[in-house]
Amino acid sequence: MIGRPLILFYVSVLVMLFFSGCAHRTVKDQTGPVELKNVSSVSPIQKSSSPEKVSPELGEKDDVFDEFEEEYKGKSIQVADPLAPWNRLMFHVNDKLYFWFLKPLARGYTFIFPGVIRTGVKNFFRNIFTPIRFTNSLLQGRSTAAGHEFASFIFNSTWGVLGFGEPAQKKLKIPLSDEDFGQTFGAYGIGNGFYIVWPVIGPSTLRDSVGLVGDRFLNPISYVDPISLAVGIWFYDRLNETSFRIGEYEAIKEAAIEPYEAIRDGYIQFRKAKVAE
Amino acid sequence: MKSFGYLMLFTLISTVSVLADDQYTAEELLKSKIEAVMSVLANKDLEQQAKKKEVSEIVTPIFDFSLMAKLTLGKKHWPDIPEEKKKKFTDLFVKLLKDFYLDKMNQYTDEKIIFKSSVKVNNKVHIPTEVISKDTKFSMLYKFYKSKNGWKIYDIEVEGVSLIVTYRSQFDHVLRKGTIDDLLIKLENREITDSTLATDPKQSI
Repeated sequence: MIGRPLILFYVSVLVMLFFSGCAHRTVKDQTGPVELKNVSSVSPIQKSSSPEKVSPELGEKDDVFDEFEEEYKGKSIQVADPLAPWNRLMFHVNDKLYFWFLKPLARGYTFIFPGVIRTGVKNFFRNIFTPIRFTNSLLQGRSTAAGHEFASFIFNSTWGVLGFGEPAQKKLKIPLSDEDFGQTFGAYGIGNGFYIVWPVIGPSTLRDSVGLVGDRFLNPISYVDPISLAVGIWFYDRLNETSFRIGEYEAIKEAAIEPYEAIRDGYIQFRKAKVAE
Repeated sequence: MKSFGYLMLFTLISTVSVLADDQYTAEELLKSKIEAVMSVLANKDLEQQAKKKEVSEIVTPIFDFSLMAKLTLGKKHWPDIPEEKKKKFTDLFVKLLKDFYLDKMNQYTDEKIIFKSSVKVNNKVHIPTEVISKDTKFSMLYKFYKSKNGWKIYDIEVEGVSLIVTYRSQFDHVLRKGTIDDLLIKLENREITDSTLATDPKQSI
């Protein structure tokens, strides 16, 4: 209850910032000298096609433009980012953590352990995380998905030897859903709140952070006794997962001109799609 | 007279099939393009650079790049931009898409693509697909619309993340604080960092 007015305050500050930003823009919006080099590096295919293609379409396709604009107006998702200075800092911390620590480690790990072992480990973790997916499928009223989770857990834990194999998916074609508390809250109509970047964990929102706490209770790793061991196991899962995903973060960053915004808005869109699933 | 009759009949049949098969055509188009791309990528005799060029030639005709460029700026910014800068922006944006996505495409060799049933809204067709490889699985949605020159892609969503929406908010962020020139400079500078990355041998692992 204490948090709510605070959020409202942050949001109103954000709105004010937004409008003052707009005001600045009109002042700054004079066309100064452009320092651009010749675009000689443009590929030949594009060069030949753009003059006849780009220019005529610019003028006449305005009704088409309107129609598409409609589609994107409703879709452009804005998330409140009152913690932007902290978030940006954490974004950089995580970025360095990835490039200096996690990525080299994952590379070494990939080099030592063949894909079969890493896939087995991945399956093992996915299997022990069943309670999270099972409970949240139930909470969202998806009994079929919950049934799939349950059946899959039984098969993979036995036939799949403690979950290292996944015969339930490979042989029986039982689909697994990827549900968590954040999505359950989303399905109940609870909004994102605001964006927050956690160190090590990465992008999240207020809603999803609360969700993560809920997920922790259903995560068997949380009940491992010395907490240092639990953290170790959690980290190992992270490392193993990263070994399959080297290059993904780099790709997102590379394609972005504003990486912080790209990842923030990407995360919000990604979660929105997950909730809608 | 007879030939005229044939002509009429032919026109009639072709219009009917066009009307009936709108959705089908977009799907078939996408399928044939993806197949063509896959066979180029699977070709072991081709150099990386040659592959990129061929893939670009296959894929370029089905994208409406100029519309995509407009959409990333939106009604909010596009009309305020001087004509010659619109052109420059479009060229740089297309280059960004090509540089980046063609580079990434080379990594996809053993993937299987599953087509799901498409959704038709007015003159748009959204075709959901699933890309399945050994270890990962992700959804990819191709958004087509019917232009004068046939079906064209105007957006792609990967795991629900739209290319247009993502660039739109980034460009908006730049334009809110600065001018179109700042954005053009940012787009140009990106190329420089990109080429240094491309020559980095570690990148190929």
